[in-house]
Amino acid sequence: MENPALAKRTIAFGLAVAIACVVNAIIVVLKEKSAAVMNAMKSGLGHHWITHSALVVGLFLVLGALLAAIKGGRGIELTAGRLIATLVSGVILAAVIIVGFYLFVD
Amino acid sequence: MNEMILMTHVLFGVGCMLAALWLFVDVMNVREATVGRIRAISWGAAAFMWVAFIVGGFWYVTFYKVDKAIILKGPWPFAHGKVMETKEHLVIMLLLLATYLPIAASDNLVGNKNARKVMLWVSAIVALLALAMDGEGGIIAMGVKVGLLPK
Repeated sequence: MENPALAKRTIAFGLAVAIACVVNAIIVVLKEKSAAVMNAMKSGLGHHWITHSALVVGLFLVLGALLAAIKGGRGIELTAGRLIATLVSGVILAAVIIVGFYLFVD
Repeated sequence: MNEMILMTHVLFGVGCMLAALWLFVDVMNVREATVGRIRAISWGAAAFMWVAFIVGGFWYVTFYKVDKAIILKGPWPFAHGKVMETKEHLVIMLLLLATYLPIAASDNLVGNKNARKVMLWVSAIVALLALAMDGEGGIIAMGVKVGLLPK
């Protein structure tokens, strides 16, 4: 087969990684810029970093499971090239936001 | 004791990085006889990363405030303000990627070159990100050291 399809979990959780990484970066900016957000995260699970980690890991797991279950359980169809591009872009974008924020903004 | 906890964090983080490197090479040469090993090592990489994350997180919330105070008063305040702040948030991404490794490894690695491509990319990113985290940890530790040197 020329371009064999990836398993639905490979695609679903790969997309979930990309999205959760970007959300992770957005939460960094939000909590550092807003005292209200930071205080809410501190009181969530006792420490802002613990709340932050739990939110992002939870998002990854839930999103991955949801994306694998849509379309009657067939999941999302995506080529390997598109999945890899999305994953790599998500990781790079998130890293740029986080590093850029602490280097130039905070 | 707190130093032993910190070294455990480093040990398991390096273990994750080595497992990811192993995976990269093993997936490039995958065959039926090695798929089981690849899947086992991908679980190992994820497990090592979770241990590193939990142990490191525990150390961070319990003991780091002492080191932070030393760093901020010393000649390398960036070791906290820039390096630790980025490390504690980039490492969450590393945790997600390492957790994804056994999921991607459960695909048909022998018969599907696309599945192999995904594994190669993810294991490479995990190895590089783990190396970056290790480097950042070294800078943070050095920030503590230079903060303790006599002026």
